[in-house]
Amino acid sequence: MDFISMITPEALVFFGLATLAVAGALGVALASNILYSGFALMATLGGVAGLYLFIGLDFLGIAQLLIYVGGILVLILFAVLLTNRIGAVNVTNVSAPRALGGAGALGLLGLLTHVAVKTDWVLTTPVSTPTTARIGDAFLREYLLPFEVASIVLLMSLVGAMVIARRAVRDRPLPPVQGATAPVDGAERLL
Amino acid sequence: MGPLSNVESLKFYAPEMVLSAGILLILIVDLIGDRMYKRKGGVSNRKVHGTLALVTLVVAGAVLWWVNHSTPESEVPRGVAIFGGLLARDAFGDFFKYFFLGVTFVVGLMSMRSRDAIDHTDGDRDAGEYFALTLTTTLGLFMMATATDMLTAFLGLELVSIMGYVLAGFKRRDRKSSEAALKYVIYGGVASGAMLFGLSLLYGLAGTTSLAGIKASAAVAASPTTLITAVTLVLAGFGYKIASVPFHMWCPDVYEGAPTPVTAFLSVGPKAAGFAMLIRFFGGALPETLLAKGALLDSSPWPLILGASAAITMTVGNLSALGQQNIKRMFAYSSIAHAGYLLLGLVALSGGGSGSRSILFYLVTYLFMNLGAFLVVIALAESGLGENVDDYKGLGTRNPFIAVVLCIFLFSLTGLPPFAGFAGKFLVFSALLEHPTSMNVFLAILGVVNSAISLYYYARLAKVMFFDKAAEGAGPIKVYGVHAATLTVLAVPTIFLGVYWAPLLDAADQAIRAGAPAVIGAARAVAGL
Repeated sequence: MDFISMITPEALVFFGLATLAVAGALGVALASNILYSGFALMATLGGVAGLYLFIGLDFLGIAQLLIYVGGILVLILFAVLLTNRIGAVNVTNVSAPRALGGAGALGLLGLLTHVAVKTDWVLTTPVSTPTTARIGDAFLREYLLPFEVASIVLLMSLVGAMVIARRAVRDRPLPPVQGATAPVDGAERLL
Repeated sequence: MGPLSNVESLKFYAPEMVLSAGILLILIVDLIGDRMYKRKGGVSNRKVHGTLALVTLVVAGAVLWWVNHSTPESEVPRGVAIFGGLLARDAFGDFFKYFFLGVTFVVGLMSMRSRDAIDHTDGDRDAGEYFALTLTTTLGLFMMATATDMLTAFLGLELVSIMGYVLAGFKRRDRKSSEAALKYVIYGGVASGAMLFGLSLLYGLAGTTSLAGIKASAAVAASPTTLITAVTLVLAGFGYKIASVPFHMWCPDVYEGAPTPVTAFLSVGPKAAGFAMLIRFFGGALPETLLAKGALLDSSPWPLILGASAAITMTVGNLSALGQQNIKRMFAYSSIAHAGYLLLGLVALSGGGSGSRSILFYLVTYLFMNLGAFLVVIALAESGLGENVDDYKGLGTRNPFIAVVLCIFLFSLTGLPPFAGFAGKFLVFSALLEHPTSMNVFLAILGVVNSAISLYYYARLAKVMFFDKAAEGAGPIKVYGVHAATLTVLAVPTIFLGVYWAPLLDAADQAIRAGAPAVIGAARAVAGL
């Protein structure tokens, strides 16, 4: 097969997005500064969102952008920036030698590439119509149960997050607010 | 009979709905509780919420029983797919549901009188959240045991995991507890990621998320390399839940750092649910016959993978337990070893029913002896005793009842007759030897050798209790009445099941006879999104 004829606009877009995602992932793993890792994650998440849009999954692509790039990534960066001395962590665990880790990673890469290329995947044709109606339908019909259970997962995750966060606040006595008459106890209850 | 629709399925989801209602009730009472009962004084938060949780569990159990006994077999047979094939309603699932209700009930009883789980110092403020999170874990365990679709299986697994993270870090002002929670989260995240990747490969092969669909798919059988890669990745997720080597790293730290009732819960509940899922996966979706002979190996690769995992898990768990000074850490390694013994039952799965039967039996005996052992640690910690082996010196004279009961649990965990642990191990090993291939024989011998190794560290604790002198000025130790009563309730079956195990074996037989491990429900088509 002629190499030039393989360069179609679709292939260019696909490989562009895929390169973005993979380069971002490499950056996350290899950057020595955790802040750079956070920013590299943006490329990965954005590249994946682009891939979703590329195969016509409009809702999934937008949700990925809004939730992961817009929400979670920003939260991660905030957490990194607000944490004192995050780079000065004393790592006590021994890590495998680089050569061993690299060989393992390369082996895994080979295996997964083999799997990805050689397997006879079930293929569906990309759709060009909006998917939101079908997603909504699936949530209220065949996937009603997971949809409802997911709400319990989210509710209880919130409760759990509150338990953990509340503790962190309470361990440090709150400074008295100037001119406030409410006792510290009242301020705590708000949490 | 085809899968039931969402509305038809509700009746068989009633126990889970009772649990959900209980969770919400606890949260609401927690919110407005101050006004309801605090002012009148006397009733503590832990009593209110603990009682609510225990009542919820009993009602859920009663509803489960009622649903099964009020539905004639001719109308809706057991072994029917519900919610369009996402879950199964079968005897196998019901067996595990009763099991989880029992575990949670005992853990609830433990927690009500444990300072470790719920801090006394500020009026048990966290009691509501504690019991709500525990009940939610049970809901997730139910889902894991009945899932016949990768989607519900993963959802149940995550539900249990997320609740576990919070519960492990529940101990306030305790670095170890926070460290435990963090380690649990990180390892859990990695394991979930690997598992999800494996599930996505399976989905890509079969074009469906249902286990029945995977079994029926010709493409799955035609690509052995992909299938084995996918299954190995999925095993990472399961291995994390059941704490098998090499996915066990979190286990000792989490078991040591978490509040002891949570440790007891994590060591029995998620482990059993993990095995329920494994039986459904390997018994149902991926039977021996799936791969054509000679496709890659001469025989099915699963026994080899599972057998290697079992051998390493048993040996690493037992050898690491030998040097432990902290009792909770020692039990953590011992629970890793028990995961290895249970995996042996999974190796024997292909030989017919006796493999899964032995796993069910073993899990029930494990419930009694392991919860009992942890309850001893909790009861003694309430009296101010430490968690190190040396702290138990002279316990035989300080509180003979507790010392004797702990010995029963320890020797049962070792697998000595006439205790329940012996019956469990005996069934697992004999299931292995029904097909005496050289690997099975080797595994059975290794299992026996491992049991002998474990005798050393279990018996060391017994020796410390009875033959070592207590420190100067150590008087008798008292434990709470509810703890002593629960311990008796746990110790009696531990002896009884070792002598007369027919009833439990019948129950386990019944649970698998309905064709449960086989995946029920029609193959779902590609969702078509």
